[in-house]
Amino acid sequence: MTLGSLARPANRSPLGLLGWRPSERLVFGLIGFVVVLGAWEAASQLKLVKKVVLSSPSLIWDAAITDISSGVIFPHIAVSGTEYVLGLGLALLVGVLLGLSIGLFRRLNYLLDPWLSALYATPTVALVPLIIIIFGIGLEAKVVVVFIESIFVITVSVMAGVRAADAVYHDVAQSFRASGWMRFRTVTLPASTPYLLTGVRLGTGRGIVGVVVAEFLTSNSGIGFYIGLNGSLLQTARVYFGIILLGILGLVLGELVRVVERRFERWRPQIN
Amino acid sequence: MTGTRTALQARGVRFGYVDPTSSEVLLAIERIDLEIPEGQFVSLVGPSGCGKSTFLKIVNGLLSNHEGEIELLAPKAKGSAHAMVFQDAALFPWYSVLSNVSYGLMCQGMSKKEAQARAMPLIKMVGLAGFESKYPYQLSGGMQQRANLARALTVDPEILLMDEPFAALDAQTRELMQAELLRIWAQARKTVLFITHQIDEAIYLSDRVLVMSARPGRILADIPVDLPRPRELHIKRTPEFVALADRIWELIATQLHAHGQPGA
Amino acid sequence: MSRSLNDASGRRVRPGRLGWFDSHARLLYGLFGIVGFLVFWEFGSRAGIVSEYFFSRPTAIIEAGIVEVQIPRFWVDVQASLTEFIAGYGLAIVLAIPLGLLAGWYRRVQYALDPWLNFLNSLPRIALLPVIVIAVGLGLASKILVAFLGAFFAIIIPTIQGVRTVDRRYLDVATSFGASRRRVFLTVVAPSTVPFIVTGLRLGIARALIGVVTGELYAATVGLGVMIKFASDALQTDRLLFGVLLFTLTGLVGVEGIRRLEKYFQRWRPIKAGANP
Ligand SMILES: Nc1ncnc2c1ncn2[C@@H]1O[C@H](COP(=O)(O)OP(=O)(O)OP(=O)(O)O)[C@@H](O)[C@H]1O
Ligand SMILES: [Mg+2]
Repeated sequence: MTLGSLARPANRSPLGLLGWRPSERLVFGLIGFVVVLGAWEAASQLKLVKKVVLSSPSLIWDAAITDISSGVIFPHIAVSGTEYVLGLGLALLVGVLLGLSIGLFRRLNYLLDPWLSALYATPTVALVPLIIIIFGIGLEAKVVVVFIESIFVITVSVMAGVRAADAVYHDVAQSFRASGWMRFRTVTLPASTPYLLTGVRLGTGRGIVGVVVAEFLTSNSGIGFYIGLNGSLLQTARVYFGIILLGILGLVLGELVRVVERRFERWRPQIN
Repeated sequence: MTGTRTALQARGVRFGYVDPTSSEVLLAIERIDLEIPEGQFVSLVGPSGCGKSTFLKIVNGLLSNHEGEIELLAPKAKGSAHAMVFQDAALFPWYSVLSNVSYGLMCQGMSKKEAQARAMPLIKMVGLAGFESKYPYQLSGGMQQRANLARALTVDPEILLMDEPFAALDAQTRELMQAELLRIWAQARKTVLFITHQIDEAIYLSDRVLVMSARPGRILADIPVDLPRPRELHIKRTPEFVALADRIWELIATQLHAHGQPGA
Repeated sequence: MSRSLNDASGRRVRPGRLGWFDSHARLLYGLFGIVGFLVFWEFGSRAGIVSEYFFSRPTAIIEAGIVEVQIPRFWVDVQASLTEFIAGYGLAIVLAIPLGLLAGWYRRVQYALDPWLNFLNSLPRIALLPVIVIAVGLGLASKILVAFLGAFFAIIIPTIQGVRTVDRRYLDVATSFGASRRRVFLTVVAPSTVPFIVTGLRLGIARALIGVVTGELYAATVGLGVMIKFASDALQTDRLLFGVLLFTLTGLVGVEGIRRLEKYFQRWRPIKAGANP
């Protein structure tokens, strides 16, 4: 027989999408985490970096334990939490309704489009001084800042979502003589859910930024105030502790949105 | 005109997909033994989901970790062992027709200029002259498949692997493309392993039709097609042709009945 | 101008003769929206329906702007803010795109970076301002750093995601032709990641601008943010809103620039009729 045998390289899958092993993800993730933490601590101990700038993991840990056990941090968490929940809740309510209406009604879209584009491109934190003039320095002002920071991403995402449904699905619904409401519920809504959730995810992040900026600029309590105050006292470890608290909040909220996303996205094929 | 060398030899090929979350194994191919002489046109038919695409991917080296052996002819100096014509055209949407067709040559390290010069005659051969600088979205489905075919032919493969290349085409374009493929095949003289769901397409094109069982796949029957070549389209209406088609259809029908509805 | 058969909600628009009004509806409504709102604002303010003290009015804002541009200090502020924005955003682009492509391509690099990227991304990096001021002072550098931190994550995360979600079919095609890893990267991964990078660039503009504004409001001696702060301390809402307007313009120019870039890189995509930006 005249067969030229052909050697074949093993796994040629370029991204290794096939040979995914969960343990590897964990191992390398842990390595990355530990290496950076270790390097940070070592650099700080060896005085390679200024403690007042980068602090160190152990100093941050100490600061966290102190302020948690003395209870100093809890009122700040309560204040920021209230501002955040109220502001974001309001933004969700108004943003979703507004996004749906603009997406559904062409003329409303035309009417508001220039304003939305402009506001979307504005770093709305620049409005914080104006909001302080109008609403004072209390809870209201901060709720408004969180609201304004998060509403546009939510509105714009929902708007895009309403248009995401392929025309052919609308045609299918129409061919079965689905009522307008039926079409909205069975086509528009499912197609726009992923966009809505993207909007919510972006909104939660922007909302946290809103809380921090508002409390930086005017406040006598809240996590942002705690961070700013300790910054001016050169208590860097406490600054990082405050930031980490916000990071944990961000992670928890992100994970929550992901759980909801998975619930709504079961019909979508997994990409890898 | 079948040569004496063997272009493809498969012995005891077996393959299962591993579910990444549950680690369960879905056996796609139970066992395939197969020998294709050089220059032969062989079709593979079988119920949906029986493992046809899977087998082609194994031959093409896109799936590893299979059991059993696959042997192919070593490629010529400037050629390739195998080339695949994918089910949906899978042209890179971001490249023009010319860049797409010359892609395989560039992968072999040829300069862009030379690769494009070599691609031109093939673009002409598949009837796409004048469309070199168009993007895939500017072509019809049939034209995309022609480009797809040209892309596979440029690398001068020892065996051409085709996975339902005409499935997405309308009936008329499909018949035209079948005749085109035979014309191109007569010119290029390649060994072809062709997957299709259409029995008449398989018979019309092939020297041999292999019928597969429902999943997990194995080869149920190996049916020679002794119709004379060159074949005209009206050969599909001759009694010999129809008898062959009936026989193959019956084989597949037993599989559908034995396993209920075929998987989508 | 192309016109789609489906309106915004996917409804079929009745085909028929298009009147002049129909074909210019978008423009007309948009103009009406702008002019109507401005007129309401202006006259509402003059009539006392809208509080001029809080919201000023369009003509007052324009007047304040005309006064402002004649002051040399204003141009110093503009220059400072622009420098901060361009430097921070530019630095983010230069670092985030190559790093993102790399991290997406080398699975293990991504695994190692993942925990930190996730954490740093979900944290409002604006909160690092106090530390950054301690580290590099009140000058331009602190604002550049904040703008950079904002934009960097906005760009790197979609870039990584883009590399990770490359269509399997195209990878199969490249692999079946025996393309080298380098070639797969250059001919498949890079082009199909472009839309993701563009998304990142667009988000990055907003983030970098937020960084500049917040940094200047919080701690700076020059910049448009400082101007806004002074205006607010003096309760000059017209001057304040003129400053905000300048940031809006910067954002709009940036977004438009990205749109052009996108159009250039996406020539191979069919043009969707009636698609909205
Ligand atoms: N990537 C994959 N991961 C897991 N299972 C797969 C994958 N691809 C295919 N399968 C399974 O393997 C079996 C064989 O699939 P294959 O694509 O080879 O079928 P086929 O014969 O080509 O079908 P069709 O004629 O419909 O194209 C199917 O049951 C399918 O569910
Ligand atoms: Mg198949």
